[in-house]
Amino acid sequence: MGVSLRDEYPDQMRLSFQEELDRLEANLQEESELVLRSLRGAINALEQQDAELADEVIAFDDEVDGRYLEITKGIEQLLARQTPVAVDLRLVLAVLHINLGLERMADLCVTISKLTKLSADLKPDDTLVEAFEEMGARAEEMIRVAMKSFSERELAGAESLVDLDELIDRANRRVVKHVFELGNDPAVREWGLRMIIVSRCLERIGDHAVDIGEQTAYLVTGEFREFTDASHPEGVAGDESSARPSS
Amino acid sequence: MSVTMAGVNVDVATQARPLPAKEFREVVFDVKDLGVSYSGNQALQDVSLEIYRNFVTAFIGPSGCGKSTFIRCFNHMNDLIPSAKVEGTILYHGEDMYGPEVDAVEVRKRIGMVFQKPNPFPKSIYDNVAFGPRVLGMTDGLDERVERALQQSALWDEAKDRLKSSALSLSGGQQQRLCIARCLAVEPEVILMDEPASALDPIATTRIEDLMHELKKDYTIVVVTHNMQQAARVADMTAFFSVNRGEEGQRTGILVEYDATSKIFTQPSDKRTEDYVTGRFG
Repeated sequence: MGVSLRDEYPDQMRLSFQEELDRLEANLQEESELVLRSLRGAINALEQQDAELADEVIAFDDEVDGRYLEITKGIEQLLARQTPVAVDLRLVLAVLHINLGLERMADLCVTISKLTKLSADLKPDDTLVEAFEEMGARAEEMIRVAMKSFSERELAGAESLVDLDELIDRANRRVVKHVFELGNDPAVREWGLRMIIVSRCLERIGDHAVDIGEQTAYLVTGEFREFTDASHPEGVAGDESSARPSS
Repeated sequence: MSVTMAGVNVDVATQARPLPAKEFREVVFDVKDLGVSYSGNQALQDVSLEIYRNFVTAFIGPSGCGKSTFIRCFNHMNDLIPSAKVEGTILYHGEDMYGPEVDAVEVRKRIGMVFQKPNPFPKSIYDNVAFGPRVLGMTDGLDERVERALQQSALWDEAKDRLKSSALSLSGGQQQRLCIARCLAVEPEVILMDEPASALDPIATTRIEDLMHELKKDYTIVVVTHNMQQAARVADMTAFFSVNRGEEGQRTGILVEYDATSKIFTQPSDKRTEDYVTGRFG
């Protein structure tokens, strides 16, 4: 007996608003594709010690930044002109956060590439190269899972990012342990220290992917919550050195 | 706790203050299973909610959802329509408003009303505000009473030098504030406002909204509005009404959701509310 407004008014209204929201979300998905290209380039340059490719990754960041600014301006316009509320408001706020997270990921790729250039003359260590390939692949997977679960408003996918993140965190700890064991050769130690930062960058990309998952959960449920919290690490395996900072 | 912002001390605790918990709210109206019909046509049914003291409570919803019918129940305005029948109960401070001994005139003294279109009497500004007190015999200190009402309705500065001028010489926004002053002059407890700003320009609308914010310190305000953003701006609690259609096409207003305004506009519980506040349907 209940008649919903959808039955009463079958033609959806505010079409231009919906188009703007759709465009914003499509732009965000494209931004994530750019970040994936940046990440793949950074990992390849690192493995192959390819300074030229590293330079390309650094230059490519302008593309990501351009997309980031475009999305930011789109959000500004939407807030000013369309006054989104309820699920629309949550979507716009989630896009705002995710946009920032993606831009940060691209910045981390730039950092990796800069370190690659600084280390181009040093002999690589096979164990670390393998570890970075694994971390890179995991980070790529996390970005894909994060953006897919956001696009499909799928809570379970978003929450699965916590487990995926734990795998990157473990790899990060293995890298740190390995670098400690590299010996006393000053050149190797210098390289090792740079590689710890590379490892940390990849680990941070995983954290940003988890943050995207948290935004998806907010969009779907309307509740702000952190999936993991450094001050309440129960339920999350791992030691404190890899626990994500609570923000 | 306070912080200094741009050289001004700002009390952090007063910013975006959360609503008091339910046990700390004083119930002014307790509505139970209320229904209203006109000549047998059910205009509103099964409405139950509580209106809290010193809150602004907004009723929103599409045309024909019964929100104006509902607000008119709070001061017996539907009594003026012979075919109207009110069922269920409204307790006003625990007393049945539709009990046999209730005097509608006494009710309207404590529960004032402001309408969509400013409706000043064709009299002077002063006589408009003094009208209620004179009728009710509250003539001691009448000048002070008129001034106080005009001060509270933020019209005093504009009207003090022309109190003997016709109320009709005022602008639309000023006339509406005069109607609010006329309502305040008899010291009601509750002010009902049925679309109080829909005939006003944006600046006059803002003044009415500011006024509602100011007045809720001393009064309980219930407002019907078509302007959802107005509800979002001024109301503490928001009730969303919608329409049910019966088998023969008859339309009946129903209460869909009643909650804190912040909840209604960020995460409404009911899909119908979300469809309405996001402006997608209805």
